[in-house]
Amino acid sequence: MGLPSWLLSPRLWDFLVDGVVSTLIILTIVWAERKIAARVQMRVGPFHVSPRLGGYLQLVADAIRFVMQEVIITADSYRVLFVALPPLFVALALTPSFLVPLSPHLALLSRPALHYGILMGIAILFYTFIMVVGIGWAVNNRFAYIGAAREALIITAYEIPVATAFADMFMIYKTIDPIEIVAKQMYIVGAIYNPAAFIVYIIGVAMATSRFPFEIADYEGDVATGPYSDFSSIFLALTYAGGIYIALFSYSLLGALVFLGGWAPITPGPWPADIWGNLAAAAFLLFKTFVLMLFFVFLRSVMPVARLDHALSFSWRWVLTLGVIATAIAATEYFVL
Amino acid sequence: MGLKMEQYGLVLKEVEAGPGGKKTLELLFGPQHPSSGHIRFFVEVDGDIIVDIRPDPGFVHRTMEKLGETRHFIMNVPLFERLSLPDAINVTWAYSMAVERMLGYDVSERAEYLRTLFGEMSRISVHLYDLALHAIMIGSSTGFMYGFGLRDLLVNLWAIATGARTTPTWVLPGGVRRAPPKVFYERLAGFLDFLERKMDEFYRLVVKNPVGYYRLKDVGHLSKEEAAAYLATGPGARGSGIDWDARRDMPYGVYKQVEWEVKVHDEGDSLARTLVRIEEVKESAKIIRQLLKIMPMDGPLIGHNAAHKIPPKDREFLNEQVRMSGYYVTTTNLAEGTGLTEGGRGRYFFQVFGSGTERLFRVRISTPSWQNLRAFMKATIGARLMDLPAIYGSFGFFPPEADR
Amino acid sequence: MAGQKLGEAIKAVLDVIGLGLKYTIKPERLTIYYPYEAPDYMGRIRGWIGLWTERCTSCMICARICPTNAIKMYLEKNGRRYPGIDYGRCIMCHYCIDACPTYALYPTEIRDFAFYKHEDMIYTPDMMRKPPQVPKLVPEVVKVVHEYRNGKVVKLRVGKLEEPKPLPPAPSVPVVES
Ligand code: SF4
Ligand code: SF4
Repeated sequence: MGLPSWLLSPRLWDFLVDGVVSTLIILTIVWAERKIAARVQMRVGPFHVSPRLGGYLQLVADAIRFVMQEVIITADSYRVLFVALPPLFVALALTPSFLVPLSPHLALLSRPALHYGILMGIAILFYTFIMVVGIGWAVNNRFAYIGAAREALIITAYEIPVATAFADMFMIYKTIDPIEIVAKQMYIVGAIYNPAAFIVYIIGVAMATSRFPFEIADYEGDVATGPYSDFSSIFLALTYAGGIYIALFSYSLLGALVFLGGWAPITPGPWPADIWGNLAAAAFLLFKTFVLMLFFVFLRSVMPVARLDHALSFSWRWVLTLGVIATAIAATEYFVL
Repeated sequence: MGLKMEQYGLVLKEVEAGPGGKKTLELLFGPQHPSSGHIRFFVEVDGDIIVDIRPDPGFVHRTMEKLGETRHFIMNVPLFERLSLPDAINVTWAYSMAVERMLGYDVSERAEYLRTLFGEMSRISVHLYDLALHAIMIGSSTGFMYGFGLRDLLVNLWAIATGARTTPTWVLPGGVRRAPPKVFYERLAGFLDFLERKMDEFYRLVVKNPVGYYRLKDVGHLSKEEAAAYLATGPGARGSGIDWDARRDMPYGVYKQVEWEVKVHDEGDSLARTLVRIEEVKESAKIIRQLLKIMPMDGPLIGHNAAHKIPPKDREFLNEQVRMSGYYVTTTNLAEGTGLTEGGRGRYFFQVFGSGTERLFRVRISTPSWQNLRAFMKATIGARLMDLPAIYGSFGFFPPEADR
Repeated sequence: MAGQKLGEAIKAVLDVIGLGLKYTIKPERLTIYYPYEAPDYMGRIRGWIGLWTERCTSCMICARICPTNAIKMYLEKNGRRYPGIDYGRCIMCHYCIDACPTYALYPTEIRDFAFYKHEDMIYTPDMMRKPPQVPKLVPEVVKVVHEYRNGKVVKLRVGKLEEPKPLPPAPSVPVVES
């Protein structure tokens, strides 16, 4: 081929594919969330901006509006963190998706580091929501404080089950290497190996990314939008209206790798030779991610919000129990398989 | 970083209570809050528990009672229906009843049937409104859209019957203003079927759903004694086991001709109040179905005494429409009248004093939301902060109605 | 906490998810796409008010019964006073129409009108024959109604929304010459 070799670098392609497709997926998922909710709620949802596309461009219009809005930094907020934390939040939320491979040969990292890709991703994702607590503090508003305190409580409640779910799967696969994990799921996906862990993962991610019914930190009913209540314009887009979806994307990508078999049935050849195969694998993985995200945003249309103490006790009591069951299943499979 | 605690931190309020005292956080809930409506509550929370709540009403006070003294009594009808637009018919019905008793007007039979029919529609409308807002307060946007979507169909039916979607100005002293067309009755029957099916889904989505169930269950408890002591009314009282409904206990309209029951729940929590609402919607549908069978389809729309004042050429189409000219020349008596109806949120009570001129000397209005406010505060103490919307919505508090 | 049992709760959750999926696939919509469609009230909704000056006797009943004092009586060249309505105050109660002894006021069902300036809202008697022109957003507006069949809502199209026409000439009535 006549292309210079740097143009064919798998790192560049991984970066491009991940960057572009994640943006597209996040836009689509916000649109889909509105459309699904509208369909369940006997209405139409976004429509007038681009009726032919079903109102898809509404998202672009909203994004433009967010960017063009006046930036308001309230007088008694802590300015440094108020400005610094939203971009940090987005950056941390997006990083994990760059740490994992999109196909056996398409990855930003190379071997020894790639081996720990999923682990690093989970660790970073757990840090991401500490930013929310920081945001709540920086905003310096009573509702934001309460929201931040709730976020802190929820972080403690979901972290352990989610970590357990992933650890169980690592135990079943006997490896933490993402590529080998996918290779092990060639015929049976992880969610079938260990359904309990999958359910724990679903509930944990719903709590982590404030999906319904756990939209508690930013519950409109009593704390307005919680930590984000004084944010406007681009900051709101970075956190409440965008950042959380990015975190959801990262969580779903990890979930798709570990529980849904990644690019499983597709086994592309080595990178420069089989470009299309690798891209197809990446597309299939991102499609699975998209489906997972669809489920998370679908919950909005059927669920109210749970109460804080119920959510916490639910997580500590039931989800953790389920996590223990998942561990038992994983241990059994560890010795049987 | 040299930050002062007052600047960056929770400013806590010290309360002298017990040996050590305690520190509480005061939250200003409303009037710009997503779920407060036009009222402000000073909520004091100790941790997650609400220890005190003080209301600050009056943001939408419009001096209804005083305005009612400054104009012809017939001009009060569009004014008073703005007390509670979702419940427009029941409000104006209570006012009209008061004026009828003051003037000694009779109500024609057809008008009684029509008023009962529309009063029940009004109850459905207000219950849908409250259930919808309650649903969004506990976070279910689907419940919100269900309520308002269904109510939109209902107000469209109102529009073809009365001439306006939400401001019917339809009940007049002596009768009603306008007869609904045939197609209204046909669509109404179909609408009820659709409504019942959707209410069932609403129940599954919001109330039976464990998330919603535990938001409502055992929160905002109001015992029967407390509900009576704090003068709760409507679903607020019936959810606490008080078996009182003005439709049955102070009969008006044609409620005696139809079979229905008063729905009472004994638990006294938010769930009970919500269930009372949902079941009352079904009862109302039942009443309307029976009324559709037995109501007279023809006849004058206003009673004899009111029709007497209408000029003869306008009297010809009294079966279709009532013209105002008769009311314009009517003056009030030196008498007094009271009207009482059971609206969706509780009982509406009007007392009017005539002055001998066209204006009333005094109008007294008692609205259910204002009564329920005290019961709501009582129910809220000791609840968690996240329960506040769940309790607030379950009383269906409507600030414009409370502030008058 | 006496309440739902675990099995019941799980069943209820699955039930709502099923309900949501059902409507995601096969939605049941009520929406009226407003600028393209408009609900049809069969001419029974209270809207803009026209006036036949030749029928008006200047009795001022309409101005006095108006609950919002929206009607002002304007002195015309012939020395008589005719009503003009301030649509900034009018609440469309149609008391004025129903009170007019000579049927000089004329009800219409025109509801969607908007004004750019407050002065435009004040209609003087000579303007009260010509309905307000609604700026057209789309070439044709379809009128729809919601009908109910077998417990389902169906949206039916019942013709096009017409341009508001000027009032027809007044039917013959005892006209009071000035
Ligand atoms: S419709 Fe009602 S508010 Fe409008 S001008 Fe006539 S009487 Fe006044
Ligand atoms: S429009 Fe009718 S009510 Fe008004 S002044 Fe003329 S005749 Fe009288």
